[in-house]
This record gives sequence, structure tokens and C-alpha cells, in this order.
Amino acid sequence: MRKLSQLVVRRRVAFLFLLATGCLFFLAGRLFWVQVIKNSFLTSHALEQRLHPVPIDPRRGTIYDRNGEKLAVSISADAVYVIPAEVGRDRRKAKENAELVARRLAQLLHMEDREREILEKVQRRSSSEWIKKKVPPDQARAVREADLPGVGVVENPQRFYPNHSLAAQVLGIAGIDNQGLEGIEVAYDRYLKGLPGRVEAERDAHGNIIPGGIKRYIPPRDGADLYLTIDKVIQYIAERELGRALKETGAKKGVVLVVRPKTGEILALANLPSFDPNDYPAYPAEKRRNTAICDTYEPGSTFKVITAATALEERVTTPERQFHDPGFLRIGKHTIHCWRDGGHGTQTFVEGVENSCNTVFGTLGMEIGEERFYNYIRAFGFGQPTGIDFPGEADGVVHVPGSIALVGWVNVGFGQGITVTPLQLLMAVSAVANDGRLMRPYLVKEIRGAKGERLAVTQPTEVRQVISAATAREMRRILRSVVVNGSGKRADVPGYRPAGKTGTAQVAEAGGYSHTKVVASFVGFAPFDDPEVAVLVALYEPTCGVTFGGVIAAPVFQAVVRDTLSYLRVPPVVEPKEKVEEDAGAQVVVVPNARNYPRGEATTILGRAGLSFGFVGEGEIVVDQVPKPGARVARGTRVVLHTAGPLKPGDGLNPLE
Amino acid sequence: MLDRRLAKNLDHGLLLSVMGLLLLGLVAVFSATHAKQAEVNGNPYTFLLRQSLAAGLGLFAGFLMLNFDYRYLEKLARPLYFANLGLLGLVLAVGHTAGGAQSWIRFGGFSFEPAELSKVAIILSLAKHLEKREDIHRWSGVGSAFLHVGLPIALILKQPDLGTALVFVGILFAMLYVGGAQPRHLLTILLIGAVLTVPVYFWVLEPYQKARIMMLVNPYADPTGNGYNVIQSMIAVGSGRLFGKGLFGGTQTQLNFVPEHHTDFIFSVIGEEFGFLGGALVLFLYYYVFRRGLVAVAEAKDRFGSLLAAGVVAMLFSHVLINVGMNLGVMPVTGIPLPFLSYGGSALIANLMGIGLLANVYMRRQKILF
Repeated sequence: MRKLSQLVVRRRVAFLFLLATGCLFFLAGRLFWVQVIKNSFLTSHALEQRLHPVPIDPRRGTIYDRNGEKLAVSISADAVYVIPAEVGRDRRKAKENAELVARRLAQLLHMEDREREILEKVQRRSSSEWIKKKVPPDQARAVREADLPGVGVVENPQRFYPNHSLAAQVLGIAGIDNQGLEGIEVAYDRYLKGLPGRVEAERDAHGNIIPGGIKRYIPPRDGADLYLTIDKVIQYIAERELGRALKETGAKKGVVLVVRPKTGEILALANLPSFDPNDYPAYPAEKRRNTAICDTYEPGSTFKVITAATALEERVTTPERQFHDPGFLRIGKHTIHCWRDGGHGTQTFVEGVENSCNTVFGTLGMEIGEERFYNYIRAFGFGQPTGIDFPGEADGVVHVPGSIALVGWVNVGFGQGITVTPLQLLMAVSAVANDGRLMRPYLVKEIRGAKGERLAVTQPTEVRQVISAATAREMRRILRSVVVNGSGKRADVPGYRPAGKTGTAQVAEAGGYSHTKVVASFVGFAPFDDPEVAVLVALYEPTCGVTFGGVIAAPVFQAVVRDTLSYLRVPPVVEPKEKVEEDAGAQVVVVPNARNYPRGEATTILGRAGLSFGFVGEGEIVVDQVPKPGARVARGTRVVLHTAGPLKPGDGLNPLE
Repeated sequence: MLDRRLAKNLDHGLLLSVMGLLLLGLVAVFSATHAKQAEVNGNPYTFLLRQSLAAGLGLFAGFLMLNFDYRYLEKLARPLYFANLGLLGLVLAVGHTAGGAQSWIRFGGFSFEPAELSKVAIILSLAKHLEKREDIHRWSGVGSAFLHVGLPIALILKQPDLGTALVFVGILFAMLYVGGAQPRHLLTILLIGAVLTVPVYFWVLEPYQKARIMMLVNPYADPTGNGYNVIQSMIAVGSGRLFGKGLFGGTQTQLNFVPEHHTDFIFSVIGEEFGFLGGALVLFLYYYVFRRGLVAVAEAKDRFGSLLAAGVVAMLFSHVLINVGMNLGVMPVTGIPLPFLSYGGSALIANLMGIGLLANVYMRRQKILF
């Protein structure tokens, strides 16, 4: 036997000792790292693992119209969740169990095509996962009865829009997880969404709640409620009239905006075609666009209101100034034609506005001068957002002085070479209606907490005084005569004396203006001497034969103004002129009662009394009338009948409910 | 009974450390199992009692080992070696499968793991084998030792029990080194082994073994499957911090988040409930055991004793390194118990017999002069 010397053995033992000691030191170091240095991560991991918090969504705030009518509400719906740790608590069969649970859930929830996705969630390393929200009651019951391990059903609020497509682009949409995605829902999301709560209970590795363990219930804080400036009835009127116009004119889309010029409150904002926010994925995105706020167009003749107001304010013209229109305007080597072949001949400024004469406005554009004109256009609010409380507002393009040829300002004079949003244009016209004061438009009147306490009230904000009150008054008189004598005749409403301006703008396309596509529009207000509402109507690309704004947009304006003012109980004024036009035998009649009669009978009663009539609402029964029974009015006065009654299922609208 | 003169030479420090580890182990096993046992069969003490019984048996076996000169064991070496091979073969033939491995033999109400006892048997027979060989410094001697241990390793790998096989390799290397093999031979074999791991990994290892090794690289790749044990163990240990959560206060332990925590993951229980201080104390006790064991290696009166002691120290050390490393996420999960602490009778008895051998070698380190 070959023997190692004692020394060698000792050396080898010493080496083994060092090796062992080194290894133990390494383990101790690792232990120190895990326990003392990395421990906060692992400690919190340990707690999170035991707490399995189950979130409770707060109730999303309700959106009301200005009168407290519900426009968007949160209702309770079932939601299915899974706690992965409970599914996989038998670790030997974790995989089989997860697959089983995923397969059963896919069947029960009719999500067979998404089984892989469910399986992935079931195996995810998290405290809980949502499988499906907005689960129909029968499916929820089936899931409850199946009693799958780790699978639960809780009530979870869901967004519901009771009026379906009404004001859909204004309200926008809220996603399945209580987050605003578009419109008011996103603009005021931080008020609407509230704060989520949760139930926390300490559980063991098998998912059982530990008796006496940490238990916490953190209640959700419900979202605040919004009261819009929108009036559901006026919104309905606007959408109804716009829908009718689209059908009759074949227009691709249309906008009707109604604002209160004195405050900037938006009473109605209609974009058609629309969509049902309860089922928004079924609609193309362009139907969800709020064209009235987010899209620009060339305003055409409606912009002449701005040019005229500027010219009057700057004393470039007086109402009486004489213009001659040979049918064209020669600026250097450019020739600009009036829309009317042969021109309008000799006319006063007022007649020029009535005729919407391009020669007159082109001349004024030149005379005002680019610098001054630009300043007024900006002062009227163009080329910048109005500041409305709505996401995605467009600016529009206003050329800076010097950036375009001088002749360009001739075009701007009659509304070409400038782009505006319908809202900008209406607010500018509203400034004329409001004694020259430009207001900031707004959609939310009030924010109220869950207990009804007022959290915020929007005050009307004056942006600036653009023109003097006297000029504004003069402008209103001129615009009234556009309706009485000029291109806007079809906009007139007996008794409500509206004023306004027509427009038929060619759509700018690559390389010039389209010969076929136009935007027919009308913008105005009523009553002209003390305006209660300002209304803009725009019909995009109508396909009917005559597409002048004065022909197809003015009647929409007329109907909206008529029904809105009567709904708002604005007393109609019998103008002396109208009186004269009526028979010498005009007489006063007492208004009979037409309430609680069906449509047919109500009209018979009114007809017998010598009164005309109009309806508001689609219902069968007359529930209210203006003027009231017993009022003394001129023969032939229009009595507005508000109807309600059996409604078609799904239309959801009951203006007087 | 023990000769009084011999008793004076007993390594009291070694025995005290082992007793300390044993007690800590009983406490930890009780903490890990009482809640579940109370729920399962109404007796929270079930595991504690069984483990105490095994400890008693083990202490008795270890005491027996002290009572005769270890040289007598040389005569038992050969029969033990073959009996061991027979038992390992029997396991494969009729053994009981638990946790994916066929490692158990049952008789009566007991079951035991021959692989645990075979470690001691192999240490004995290898010590005798190496003592008789004159050519350990040559390849032929090294090769013969590999053949000697290779057969039982092959049988154990067949169960399959990768961890125990690794322990055998550790024992073999340590005993060859102490027995006089040339370091360059051992290094060459290590090198070849390292090179062979690649084909072995791809062609020999079972999928579950591969997964456990991959899990070392990133346990979070499969947190609910192969990474689960390690992540849970690390969470438990980590949440214990410096001073621990106190006995029975370890939430992860008490709520059974750590699987197998009374056996292979007992260290995580100590780490969670007694903190870094508890874990470090355990490591220190092991350090002391190894240190005393190596003193016995150096001071043994003959080569056989030296080799015996080296084998026992290597066995204990491999267990500690692999098990604690696994608990702390630096070693693959191979079902290997922590000596004296993990629940499990066979291992406990085998380890205490090993300690008996160590003490025997140390006690008889010099010729008794008086």
C-alpha cells in the first residue's frame, strides 16, 4: 500500500475544509441577499399572494341632459372572473384543471373561438383575471351552477345609453372597464369614473379564506354625475329634422347645432348618420365622429356674416352704400365671378347681403385689407379652438397676412380659402346675436357628486367683445332682411322672426373646387332682436337637383327654430307687417284645449277654431300645447302640440317623460 | 458499554452540534406539519412523533456504531456492498413510487428508502476497496473505484434519483482525494464530466430533470409549474427577513404555499420563521460538523478510518450544499433531504449512523497509551 505522508493528508484535508467553508459562506451570502436585501420584494410578494384582492368597480356617473333626463347610465351586469391560484391549487393536475376550466368557460360563455385566450388567463400568475364582462343573465347563471374551481361571478356596472343613438357623438362611449373612450365620456372621465374598491381576504395556498385572517372591504367611490347643456327635446328635434333633410336631399352627412347665444350653452348638437353607443363596435368609426366640432369645411357664403360685420364695424361700408355688380370682379389679372350670371346690377350693401353677392363681398375683402381682416377673423374665433369641453376639437386654417396673394383675401371675403368648424362659425354668428360678445361654448352645465351635491357649475364665459353692440344690432337687422327679402326666405318662421345667412360652399378638392360636391348650409338666430337660439345647419354633399343652402338647408333651420322656440315657450310676436298681410278681417280667437286628445282629434279641434298647428314628438297623444287653452291669439296662429304616448320599442325617446 | 477511557476522547462539540440540528429539525417539522395534520387526522403531532421515533432509532444506531472499533466493519464491507446492490435492485422491481421516483420499499406499516442507507454502505465498502488498492495514484486505481461506485449509481439513476446519485459522486471524489488519487486525474475526470453534460442533458436526462435545471436560469419562466417550488421557497425565506416571523408565524409555511416544506424545503421554514439569524445558525452548525469531521479525517489512526470519515463528511456536505442551494434558488430541485432537519426516517438514521462512524474514528484516533 502506497501511503500518503501525513503532511499531504493534512494539506488535502485543509483544502477540503476551505472548499466546504467557501461553499457555506456562499450559501450564507445568498441567504443574506434573499432575506435582508431582496426581502421587500419577496415580502410584498408573499402578502399579495395571500390577499387575492377582488376589485369592485365603482358606479360610473350618470350623464343627464339639462333637465335631468338620463342620457348615459350605469346599470349592473354580471362579470365572470377567475382566480388562477385556485384553479391550479392541485399542482399535479394544474394543467389539466386549467384546460378543463378554460374549455367549460368557453362553452358556457359562448366564447369557443377564444378558448386559448381564456386558458392563458386561467394560467396567468396574477391574483384575478376578468374572463368576460357584460355577461347575459342566463350565461351567468350557467357559470354559477357549473361551480368551476376558482371561477366566480360578480355584479359589475355596465354602461347603457337609454336613448340609443340620440346625441351619440356628444356622449361618446365608455369601454367595458369603466374608462371613457370618446366624447364627453372621455373628456370628463376623471369625474365620471370614481374610485374602484376591493375586497381583500387572506387566503391559504388552496384559496380558502383564512378565518381570522386579514379582511378588508374598501368600498368603491362612485363617479360624479354630469348635467349637460344639451336639452333632450331640442336634440331630438334637431336630429329628427336633420334626418328628414338627409333623406330628402341625399346628403352624405349633416350637422345641426343649436346654441344659446347669450351663454354659449349648446342645446343640441346633431351629427348624422349616427350610431348606437350600446353597440358601438358594429359601426364604422366615421359615424362616431363629431363633425360639428372636430371637422372643418370651407364655409362659403355663410362666412359673409363675418365679412359684413367687420366692414360695418370698421366703417368700410354703410348699409346704404351703393355697389355695382356687373357679374364679375376684376382684381389685377384675376377675374372673380359672382354666382349669378350677369350680376346683380346696382344694389345697396343690404341688398348685396340679401343677394349674397360675391362681387360686393370680394370688394369688401379687399377694402378691409388683409391685416385688419385677419385680426377680425381671429377675433371672431377662427383658426383656433373655441375651448369647448370636448376632445379633439379642430382649429381650422386661417391664412396669415402675407402668406397668400392679396386676391386670396377677396375669396376669404365670401368664405373661400378658409376652413372652419361648424361650431366656430355658429359661435361667431352667435357673437353677432349677442351684441358682439363672443362666448365660449360648453356642453357640461354642472357636475354633481353621488349625493347630489354640486361639485362644479360652469359659468358662461365671454371670450371677447368682437364688434360693438350697435354694429351687432345693425347686422341682426340686415340678416333679418336676408330672411324676409333675400336668399333665406325659406328659413322664416311666422312669429319668431329669425335672421340668418345661406351658404352653398363648393367642396375643395385636390387642384380646385368640385363642381358637384357642395356643403349647403344656413346659419342664423331667432328672434332677431333678442335671440334665444342660434342654429347652424350644414348638409354635406347633397345629391338632389337643387343644392342651394337657401333651398335645402333653410327649411331645416326653419323647422328647428319653430319647434325649439315653441318648446322653450318663447312667445311668438305677431309682426305688424304680417298682420297687414292677413285679411282685414283678422280676428282674435280663444285657443281651445287639445290636450289629451289623439293627434287626429286635436287637429280637428284646432282647425275648427281657425288655428294652424304643429307637432313636437312622435307620440300619439297630445300632452301639452303652446299657447295654453284660453289664450287669446290671432286667427291662424300656430299652436304647437307636444305629443307622447305609445312608443316604438327601442326608440327610447319620450320627450316629456 | 463504552470504555471510559474512550469516552473521554469523544468529540463532544460534534455531538452537541448534531443534537442542536436535530432539535431544530423537530421544531421545524412540527411547525410545518401541525396545522395540516390537525386538519387531516386530528393529531397535530403525527409527524413530530414519527420523526422523534426515527431520531431515537438513529441515535441508537449511531451509538451502536461507537461501540466497536470501526476496523471490524471492514469485514462487513463486502456483504454490505452486495446486500445494498440487491436492495437497490429490489426497489426497481417491487418498489413504491412517490413523487415520480420509485425509491421506496414498504414492509409492515413502514416504508424506507434503501438509497439512504446505501450511502453508508458504499462509504464502508469504498473505504475498504481504496485501502486495499495500491494503485490509487494511477488511472487503474481511480478506474476501479469508479466501477465500484458506478454500479449502485446506475441503479439509483434508474429510479430515477438524480440528487442521490450526485451525492455518491461527491463521496467518491472526496474519498479518492483523501485516499491519495492524483489531483490531475480527478480534474481530468471532472473536465470530461463537464464536457459530457451537454450530450447527457440532451440525450439522457428525463424531461422533468431538464426542466428543473432550466428553472435555475429563470424560475419565473414557469412560475406555476417547475419554477413553483423554488419561487415559493424564496418567497418564504425572503419574507423572513433578519429575525423571522417567529415560530408558527411563517405565513407562507403555515398556509402550505411551499410544497414538501417538511422534507426537502425544511430550510425555507427555518428561513421564514427564524429569519436570517436562524438560517445562519443552521449553516454555522453544519460548518462546525464538517470542521470536526475533517479533523477526524486528518487525525484518524489509519487510512481506513481516514477514508470512512472523509466519506461521511462528503455525504453530509453534498446534502447540505444541494439542499440549501435548492432552497435558495441556486441549485436544481433534486429531492434531497437536509441532514438532521428534513422529515424522513431513513435519511435521519443513515446520517446519524454516519455521525456514529465519524465519532468512532475520532475517538480511536491515537493509540491509547495508558
